[in-house]
Amino acid sequence: MPDVPSAGQLALIFAAIAVFVVGEGLSLMRLRTERVAAAERDISGRRSENLRVLSKTCMSVGVLLCVGVLAWHGFARGTWRPLEDNFEALVSLAFLLTLFIAYTQRTHPLRGLDWFMMPIVVLLLLLAAVFGKTKPHAYLDTTWSLVHVSASFGGFVLFAIAGSVGGLYLYVNRRLRSKRLVPGQGFGSLERLEHLTLVSVTLGFALLTIGLITGLVRVLEPHGRNSLGPEWYRNPKVWLTFIAWCVYALVLHSPINPAFRGKRMAFLSVVGFVLMIGTFVAVQFMPGR
Amino acid sequence: MQRLLLLGLNHTTAPLEVREKLAFGVRQRGEALASFAQRFPGCEAVLLSTCNRVELYIARQTHGRPRVEEMVEFLAEFHHMPAAAFKDHLYEKANQLVVEHLFTVTSSLDSMVLGETQILGQVRDAYDAACQAAAAGALLNPLFQRAIAVGKQVMHETALNEGRLSVASVAVDYARNIFEHFRDKTVLSIGAGKISQLVLQGFVGLSVGQLLVCNRDAQKAQDLAQKFNGRGVAFEKLAEHLVAADIVVTSTGAPHPIITRQLFDAIRRQRRYRPLFLIDIAVPRDVEPAVGEVEGVYLYNLDDLQQVVSTTQSQRRDAVAAAKAIIARHVGEFAAWNRQRELGPAIHRLYSRCHQIAQDELARTFNKLPGLVESEKAHLEDLARRIVNKLLHDPVQVLRQSDGMHTPATQYLHGLDKLFQLGGGDATEPPGNDGKAPGSDEPA
Repeated sequence: MPDVPSAGQLALIFAAIAVFVVGEGLSLMRLRTERVAAAERDISGRRSENLRVLSKTCMSVGVLLCVGVLAWHGFARGTWRPLEDNFEALVSLAFLLTLFIAYTQRTHPLRGLDWFMMPIVVLLLLLAAVFGKTKPHAYLDTTWSLVHVSASFGGFVLFAIAGSVGGLYLYVNRRLRSKRLVPGQGFGSLERLEHLTLVSVTLGFALLTIGLITGLVRVLEPHGRNSLGPEWYRNPKVWLTFIAWCVYALVLHSPINPAFRGKRMAFLSVVGFVLMIGTFVAVQFMPGR
Repeated sequence: MQRLLLLGLNHTTAPLEVREKLAFGVRQRGEALASFAQRFPGCEAVLLSTCNRVELYIARQTHGRPRVEEMVEFLAEFHHMPAAAFKDHLYEKANQLVVEHLFTVTSSLDSMVLGETQILGQVRDAYDAACQAAAAGALLNPLFQRAIAVGKQVMHETALNEGRLSVASVAVDYARNIFEHFRDKTVLSIGAGKISQLVLQGFVGLSVGQLLVCNRDAQKAQDLAQKFNGRGVAFEKLAEHLVAADIVVTSTGAPHPIITRQLFDAIRRQRRYRPLFLIDIAVPRDVEPAVGEVEGVYLYNLDDLQQVVSTTQSQRRDAVAAAKAIIARHVGEFAAWNRQRELGPAIHRLYSRCHQIAQDELARTFNKLPGLVESEKAHLEDLARRIVNKLLHDPVQVLRQSDGMHTPATQYLHGLDKLFQLGGGDATEPPGNDGKAPGSDEPA
């Protein structure tokens, strides 16, 4: 079996990227349409509603395409073990994030979350299409490794949510302060966004800590396959992860130290996620895994 | 002949920073009217000062004082500020345009929130204040009475007031953008004004945890607090209440900010950097703008809230058209009434003068013709009367049909005075305080 995805899978991935981008464009256009309508004193909301439906349809089609890629890949591989290879992991991450968006939009609508999360989804799918390898990871044969990888990926998903919600918080906060937010647009309250960020960071922090500890156990195993080498502590992945862990630790202090709440917390969650992306890139494309 | 003048600024021409500097409190308005009357005796004046506008309506003799520049100077001197600070934001109107503007104002078509009824009360207050100061006279009395009647008619006969957002509901919507839950929140009301009551009503609907009402008049605070199941608190402990508050609604009549940046910086740590939603619906503002720059403070003033409210205006386009039709009709009626009022005495003087001349000439002729019998004298008298009437008929008709609120009528009247030496008291006749509403007792 070749270690790159098939042309059909790649076609589906690019189709998913295309519909996600179109959906995102429509979602952004909807905001502009509402601004224009407000300026023209047109409150019918018809144009906005049409764009909303179209954008939602695009996202649904994109989700189905992601499912198609994962199913195809699973059939081709003959196993259903998640996160087994790099390509599958990237598509799964993108799929999970899209599911989260779809879930929140259905149960507790949070307008604008997709603006911040969809670029991450598109980035992950692009990474999967361009750099994704279908060769199974060799290190998934021990429990420590499995826990390490699962916890790290889970943490990444939660930090992606925290970063996106943090970004949305900064956006809503800015518009509220500049008095350009029209009430009733469904962006969610700052209090809710802050709470969601804190919950995501708390869970993500727990998973990241587990990931760090299990990773440490793995590199310190006397007979383990330590691909980071004897000077593992100099590896950028280790440092980036540690810095991200410290940043998230600061975020977790916000209930105790109110100086870190609100805008700072949102900003830190975005910074933390940027660091996590750095770690992720380091994990995927640097020799030491 | 009297000339109507209006000098003012409103929410479309001036920002809140300028409006609040030119605003007149209740006491200030009385002082301003007294000062105006002293400075320009014989001139009628009504001063309308609301959150959204400051307008000075005057009626003076056509070539009398004050001129517009003097009105600007008066406003500047009264507020101890340079005229340049607000001059660019002013608009001026004269005669029929003043009538049209005032009717539009009382109908709320010129308000930021279309269909709001508060303006009617504010115009009435302004008019009452002018009456108390004996500043409204023969022209402004009927004008304002008619304006209030037009405002009421528009509200009753059109759908302007239906289905609109209110400042209170927008404030609540903004609070929902900041807070998710309200059971653990404290709402503090500073001042017990009408709008703050409406806003509080909106927040009470959200089941807030605690409602505090703070006012310089403790009894008023207590009364309002009881109404909303809240607690009246001492104004002197404002800083303490601000520490506890999550939402503050402020609407005092204080001439200076009561929540300053200095005060807020002092309590910020005690507040543990919690977000604060400040709704300042007072004019002049109660909260220093610098407070809004503090992180976690969301400061909204009346303009900010009204901007949002005004977006619902398109729903009432038909109502606006209906309201404009009512206004146009009343402007026409008022113009006709005023034309009659202005022209009636002049026409009367013209007829009297011409008939007097005819009578004098008849008397001279009768002296020269002693043999005339009574029936012949009657014929001659009738002839003279008919000649005078026929001669004057056409010019008087033209005069009656001229637009009494615009320049031609003024020019005609001056021409009449000069040509026929009618001795009209245009520049000398002081305005009385005997104005009556048009339609009630119009001159024949």
